[in-house]
Amino acid sequence: MKTVVFESVSKIYRTRYYQVVALEDINLEIERGEFIAVMGPSGSGKSTMLNLIGCLDKPTEGEIYIKGTPISGLRDHELTDLRRNTIGFVFQQFNLIPTLSALENIELPMIFRKAEAEERKKRAERLLEIVGLEDVADRKPVEMSGGQQQRVAIARALANNPEILLCDEPTGNLDSKTGEQVMEILSRLREEGVTVVLVTHDESLKRYAERVVRLRDGRIVDVSSVST
Amino acid sequence: MYLQLALRNLSRARVRSVLAVIGIIIGVTAITSIGIFGENLKKTVMESFGDIANEVIVLPNSKEGFSKIDDRTVELIRKFPYPGTVIPVRADSFEVSYKGEKRYVAVYGLDERAITELFKIAEGTADLKSGRCVAGYGIAESLNLRVGSRVVIDGRIYRVSGILEEEGARFDIRPNYAIIIPEKDHPADVSAIIVKLEKLEDIEGFKSYIEATVNIKDEKVEILEMKSILDRIEEAFNQINLFLMAIAGISLLVAGVSILNIMLMSTIERTKEIGIMRAIGAQKVDILKIFLMEAGILGISGSVVGATLSIAGGYFVTKLILGEVSEILNTTTVLFAVEGFAFGVGTAIISGLYPAWRAANLEPIEALRYE
Repeated sequence: MKTVVFESVSKIYRTRYYQVVALEDINLEIERGEFIAVMGPSGSGKSTMLNLIGCLDKPTEGEIYIKGTPISGLRDHELTDLRRNTIGFVFQQFNLIPTLSALENIELPMIFRKAEAEERKKRAERLLEIVGLEDVADRKPVEMSGGQQQRVAIARALANNPEILLCDEPTGNLDSKTGEQVMEILSRLREEGVTVVLVTHDESLKRYAERVVRLRDGRIVDVSSVST
Repeated sequence: MYLQLALRNLSRARVRSVLAVIGIIIGVTAITSIGIFGENLKKTVMESFGDIANEVIVLPNSKEGFSKIDDRTVELIRKFPYPGTVIPVRADSFEVSYKGEKRYVAVYGLDERAITELFKIAEGTADLKSGRCVAGYGIAESLNLRVGSRVVIDGRIYRVSGILEEEGARFDIRPNYAIIIPEKDHPADVSAIIVKLEKLEDIEGFKSYIEATVNIKDEKVEILEMKSILDRIEEAFNQINLFLMAIAGISLLVAGVSILNIMLMSTIERTKEIGIMRAIGAQKVDILKIFLMEAGILGISGSVVGATLSIAGGYFVTKLILGEVSEILNTTTVLFAVEGFAFGVGTAIISGLYPAWRAANLEPIEALRYE
């Protein structure tokens, strides 16, 4: 089954004085468990694409199916439910909540799912183990290094056991060594069946992907398989 | 967990939160302590009227041309078959002189029993045998009267057998600047009858009794119920109190605006965080809850402190202005404190509604992009 399907999707931002075509006539299918890299210069529409898959936005034209569900007709709370249960976000800026400890940050998506406290804590501890950070559980984001924060962010993205992991320049704020650690975690997740969509303009990261989608001015200019 | 999140967000901007709480404290304290003071003022005034709620005054109906109450009417009223005291009052003004000093004062004609029933004796006795009199507190002071003094009233000598305590406001007899002589010695007609009923619920019965006996042919007398007058006074006090509390309410309004202000600032500062929370699965209503909870915490903590302070505040204001406080922790005081608390929390939550609504309705993408 296709996890994500783009069917002639366009996204146009209109203001009173001009309009910007962020994506134009995109057709794309992403398989379950696939690791796909979306590459292209700034302004090529990478982030728009990510936001659309993440149900943060709806297409202007065309249709997007997430696990078979067309999203353009969904209401805000339905989109939120779909996002919470299906999608995990990893951002370039880590975006942890500064008032919460590492463990609490990981618990947060489960709180929004209304999971039991017991279950939340157990799973958050397990996820911290997976990303190798058991010892920073009680630290606030400011007390952690960039690499640690990003690993906590990945653990948070996995909290509700999502099928799709959306990563927006996850190594952009990290040195190459910690960046590599993060990428290792992501490819390990893919092996466990998580679909990973990676947005980056770092050419060296394409080796982790199975397919590379290249965007330019809102259009797909190339889709290539990466032989490992 | 939402509670923890809200608490931590508030402690992140500690000074701001504390200032907002102080605003609420001031507002709640102002409203509640004014309420408590007003209630005490009312109580003190009502107490000064003494126990007159069960009094009924029968007066000649001047509208129909009656200027006095005849003996037959007095007899009929004495026959009212329920327990109570009937006190016919004769009143006039006479020249009173003592040791060369002259005054023109009100002189009442009452019997001895009426004095003990209506007033308290400060010195001497209520002895009202013929040729004796009892002096009010004010006139005794002004003329330097003592028990045993001989005064000339309307050309006749009377000996002072007692002096009354200072009396509060009354509607029937104002004894402070008056002298009371025996009813039999008083030349005037009966100008009023004070009827003290033992039971409040007999007042209605008394009224219909008068209608059926005294007023059967002509409307000879009219009836003044002390209770309805007191009710009206109490009503007026309640209105004044409400008005004062409304003025104090302005300070609570200001506190509400300051909460609105800091919550709006907080919404803007935390735009990105709101975006993150939406991205990781928070519904609009979750965001709304977090922000409302913050407003609620500010309101509750301010109101608890404010309500507690105002019990003390009400005590001091009352003590300062009225000079006496009977009991501070009575039902009304607690009621006002609870009311002030509810107003404080209500104000905070209403003020938090708009910022919370705004936060909840931010576009997730826009919010995420916010730096």
